[in-house]
Order: sequence, then structure tokens, then C-alpha cells
Amino acid sequence: MNQPPLECNRSAMDDDGLVARVAAGDDTALRELFSRHAPWLAARLRAALPAAEVEDVLQETFLAVWRGAGGYRPCGAAGGWVWGIARRQAALLLRRRGPATAGLPDGIAAGGREAGDPAEMALARADLAAAVATLGPPGGPDREVWRLLYEEDRPVAEVAVMLGVPPGTVKSRAHRARRLLRAALRGGAAAEGGSR
Amino acid sequence: MNVDITGLTRRFGRTQAVAGVSLEAGAGVFGLLGPNGAGKTSLLRMMATVLPPTSGRLRLLGRDPGSYGPRREIRRRLGYLPQNLGYYPGFTAAEFVEYFALLKEMPPGEVPRAVAAAIEHVGLGDKARAKLRTLSGGMLRRAGIAQAIVNEPELLLLDEPTAGLDPEQRVAFRALLRDLGQRATVIVSTHLVEDVGAACTEVALMDAGRIVFHGTPDELTARGEGTGAAGDAPLERGYSAVLAAARSSTAVA
Amino acid sequence: MSDMDAGLPSSAPAPRATVPADVDLDRVWTGVATQVWRRDPGRVERLAGRLLRSPGLARALVVTPSLLLAWIIATVVVLFAGAGATLATGTPYVALLAPAVAAAGIAYAYGPGIDPAWELSQSMAVSDRMVLLIRALAVFGLNAILGLAASAASGAAAAVTFGWLVPMTAACALALAVATVTRLAIVGVAAGVAGWMIAVLSGAAASGQLTTAVTSSALILPYLAFAACCGVVVVYATRIPKGTS
Repeated sequence: MNQPPLECNRSAMDDDGLVARVAAGDDTALRELFSRHAPWLAARLRAALPAAEVEDVLQETFLAVWRGAGGYRPCGAAGGWVWGIARRQAALLLRRRGPATAGLPDGIAAGGREAGDPAEMALARADLAAAVATLGPPGGPDREVWRLLYEEDRPVAEVAVMLGVPPGTVKSRAHRARRLLRAALRGGAAAEGGSR
Repeated sequence: MNVDITGLTRRFGRTQAVAGVSLEAGAGVFGLLGPNGAGKTSLLRMMATVLPPTSGRLRLLGRDPGSYGPRREIRRRLGYLPQNLGYYPGFTAAEFVEYFALLKEMPPGEVPRAVAAAIEHVGLGDKARAKLRTLSGGMLRRAGIAQAIVNEPELLLLDEPTAGLDPEQRVAFRALLRDLGQRATVIVSTHLVEDVGAACTEVALMDAGRIVFHGTPDELTARGEGTGAAGDAPLERGYSAVLAAARSSTAVA
Repeated sequence: MSDMDAGLPSSAPAPRATVPADVDLDRVWTGVATQVWRRDPGRVERLAGRLLRSPGLARALVVTPSLLLAWIIATVVVLFAGAGATLATGTPYVALLAPAVAAAGIAYAYGPGIDPAWELSQSMAVSDRMVLLIRALAVFGLNAILGLAASAASGAAAAVTFGWLVPMTAACALALAVATVTRLAIVGVAAGVAGWMIAVLSGAAASGQLTTAVTSSALILPYLAFAACCGVVVVYATRIPKGTS
């Protein structure tokens, strides 16, 4: 079959290359990006939003990718970049929808302070989970320190004993974990469907 | 009934292309089989309001295509894929489908979405913005199918739609036919017997301008049993048996 | 999560997360594709659509130049060569050539000449007769503008500059009539060009002046009457025929 010249094998291209091609106006690259990233984006958004709104957010997300691909600097974190866009679109949608008032337990909606929208909170949880995933596989050193120190709230000495390392090591790993997490949350978490 | 034909004939000079055809078709997939020159294309052209009948009664979608107003209404709800579909080399696939969507007087606001849906439906999503001159024969045929379905027609007429499609594409196409046949009348003219068996709920077999068989694919298969007619598949044998019987009876008459 | 499986076939991507059952990704993609693939009509097309009260007719008009590109280029070349020749020799070639060139374009604007998907076009709600009329007018107008520009560039007298518009109407009408009756654009082209040549030559033979066919005001009414008859033929030939044909 005749292939037009310059057509590349998109399935073997990495995400950065695809985004570059989208910026150049190649809609087939957008299609490939969609087939790679829409599934996990949908799963993550679905944890926070109803199905119809997930579809709307995904549509706006990829249209934003189409328009804004020129602003992406190749850095191997295309998945995180797309999630960042999705996150913003979800926030826009939630703002338009207005704060959910039904079903909030009494006492949470403090006077003057805007109550946390359950969907907003779910998205924030999803953000955090993705950021924690950048610390490495579960059971790895940084991940374990994070889990024991911050999720289970144990003192440093106890964590040091459990992991069999000196307390200084625990503190330096915790420091690194906090740094990585800050970077991940700021820059948009690299996703499980992230770039190659 | 979306198609209601009684005693339709069409003559070209001294040849009778269609020599008295009567049929009724509602929703579903209707196969039109027959050898070359049997009159299938002329019949399809008459149903597409491109060719007027010489005599007989033709009612499409409850209207009479003989007068301008009803004919225009029919054409808005019609999808047609001719046997020889030319294409505009400089158009992209999306532009091609969009052009005919507009000529079918679809509301302009609905056109972009309908075009995208039609292109995805026939599997040309990768080629939507490619120029038609870069597409293979099978892809061009699929672009033709896309323009036929873009307006979600109530009457869909396809003349040799699977020409140039590879087996995998033909399977996908038959699934598309079954899906469309839920809501619309789909009439497929083909000489590929297996296309008919897989997708059609009703079959008519034409020879020399007349319908010599009208029934279900199973009934056609049954006509071939025990006759020793030629054919590798049961449906083909039924086809040959019916044709042979029709020709011998006309020879006798 | 493994990032190492390169070469996933793009036709069947294996999602590494499970798509939620109630989210329809195909619908989402169709929505994205709708915006990415759409090509909104330009200002000319929208204006034409409002004037003609038919977006389909406007689109058919707007794509005509892309279908007639060869004719447009040929017209420009012929007319401006004619202008150059006029400047050199004084004979108003533009006036003599313009009707023939226009006739060729008009005949070519008829169905099978210009439209590879002719049979499909005949099954459209926007009637092909209307499309033909619009295209013919567009060709005529385009040729008139190009001709006037070339005429002005060649410095010909005013009578000659405008004098060929009426003969051009007659030549175009003839070409179109023959094309629609014979269903062959090329025959229409031949008829239009030949008919015009005959008119010019017989005018020259009768009066000794080559430009008689263009400048003689006595011919205006006959030209228009002839054009009207050809118009009737076109209308008759483009109806949906009943009976044998």
C-alpha cells in the first residue's frame, strides 16, 4: 500500500514526539495520544465525577491538547502534562457546576469558608496518589518511608527500627520524598500511563 | 414500508433493463443478487431518483418521486453509493463527506459532528484529513459509504459496496449493515453471494430484468439442495439452481 | 507499570487502566474529532449561502475554482496573451477571444465535464440544475472580470472593451445547450468555440472588419434572442426526463 512520504510509525513514537506532531497539526498523532491516555484519564476522573461529566472533561482536555500542544516542552512527562490539563478542565467544570451542597455532613460547612466539594476532594486525592506513585514502586525505600512516616504517623525512631536503617537515613529519605512530592504536585504528576 | 414498487419497468431504446419488478421493503437489510446485466443497477438508480421509470408505480419513503417537492424530501433522507463513484482528488476525506452532507441539505450546525461520526464509523479516522488522491481503492469505497450514511438515511442504496475491500473490512462492513438495518431500509446490490448470506434478512434474485426469487437467505439455500447445482457454498448452489430454473422456463415459454 | 512495551499496534491499544464501563470513549473521540476536522465556511461562502438560501449550493459554488483550475489558468494565459498581442498589433484580440474562452469554461462546468461524482450529484437534494446554473454564472462572471481587465490592459477602445459581453452570452448559451443535450461537456466546448469562430469570420466576410461580430450594435438583439433560445434548450435538457432517453 502506498504510504505518503514522511509518515512515521506512530505506534512506536514516544509521547513527546506525538505531542510535537500534534503541535505541527497532525490530527492522527492526537488520535494516538487519545488511545494511549484517555483510558487511564477516564478511570482517574471517574473516581471523582459522574460518567457524563468525565466524558465532557475528556473532550475538553484533548481539545486543549490540540490547541496548546505548541506550549509543551519535551521532557518525558507528557502524561503528567495531559493530567494537568484534565485537572484544570475538571476544576473549570466544577466551578461552573457550583459547589455541591447536597449530602454534606453538618459542621463541615464552616461559616465563610467554602466547603470542600466532594468531587474536588476526590480529584485532590487522585493527584496525591499519583504523586506518591512517583516515589517508586510500593515497597521501595522512599515509598516505604513515606507510608510509615506520614500515612501511618509513626515516629522516626520506630520507622528506623522497622526498616533496619539508621534514623539519619530515614530523615534524608523523608526529605527526598517530600521534595519529589512537591515537584510532582506542582508539575502535574507523572501518570501510570506516562511517557516512554 | 419505505420502498413500495409495483410493476416497474425501464427501457433504453429497445432493451428492457427492468421488465416488471414489484417489491416492498421495510426496515432491514435487503440483498439484491444477480448476474451482470440483470438490471440491478437500473433498479437501484430508479430507487435513488436518478433515473425515472418508464412505467409502473414507485413510492419511496411514502412519497412519489415524480414531482419536485417530494423528490427533494426523499433525497434528503436518502443515502446512495453508485457502482462507479468518482472522487475529487484535491478534497480530503472529511471535505468529501462534508460536501455531500451539505448537498443533502443537512442543517449546517449538525454537519461537522455527522461527518466525524460517519468517518469513524467506516474506519477512516486516520485518513480524515488526507487527500483523496492518496487513498487506496478500498479506502475510497469506504469514503463513499461514509457520504452515504452521513445523513442517517432512512433509505440506503449501495451498489457493489464491498468492491476493493479486504476480507477483514468486509466483515466490519457487514456489521455496519446490520446496525444500520435496525432503523433504515438498506438495499445492497452485489454479485458476491457471501455478502448477502451474512448480513441480509431478505434476498431478491434478479435475472434479465425480472425478480426470479424473493425470500430469506435460508430459503435460497434450500432451493439449491439436492439439485446438484454448481457452487462451493450452499447459498451459491441455491443461486445457481434458481437461475437455471428461471432460464430454462423462459427458454420453454 | 512497565513502560517498556514499545510497538503497541495503534489499531488496538491495550489500555493499561480499565476504562470505566459507563464512559463512552468513542463518543468522546467523535466529539474531539468534530472540532478538529471541521472546516468552517469562509466569509464568501457564508454570504453566498445566505443569498442563495442554500449552504449546499454555496459550497458547490465555492469549490468550483478548484475543479476548474485548469480552465482558470488557461483563461488568464489566453486573455493576457491576447492583450499583449493587441498592444503589439492593434487588433482587439481580447474581445475576439473572450467569448470563446468563456464558452469553453461554461460547457465544462456542466456535469460530467467537471464532476467526477456526477451520478452521485444527481441524487442530491440540491438539484444539479441549480448547481449548473450557479457554476455557469460564476464562470461567466469570472471570465467577464478577467476579460475586462485584459481589455483595459490592452488599451482598446471602450466600445470594444464592453462590446463582447453580449456576444459572450450567446456563445456561452450555445455551448451550454449543446453540452446538456449531448451530455458531453467536450462537445459543448467544441460547439461554443466553433460557433463563435463562425460568427467572427462571417462578420468579417460581410463587412471587411474583423471586429464586426463584436462591435456591430445591430447584432445585439439577435445575440440575445439566440441566447434565450439556447437557455430554453438548457432548461428542457436538464429536467428529469420522463420515459425513454
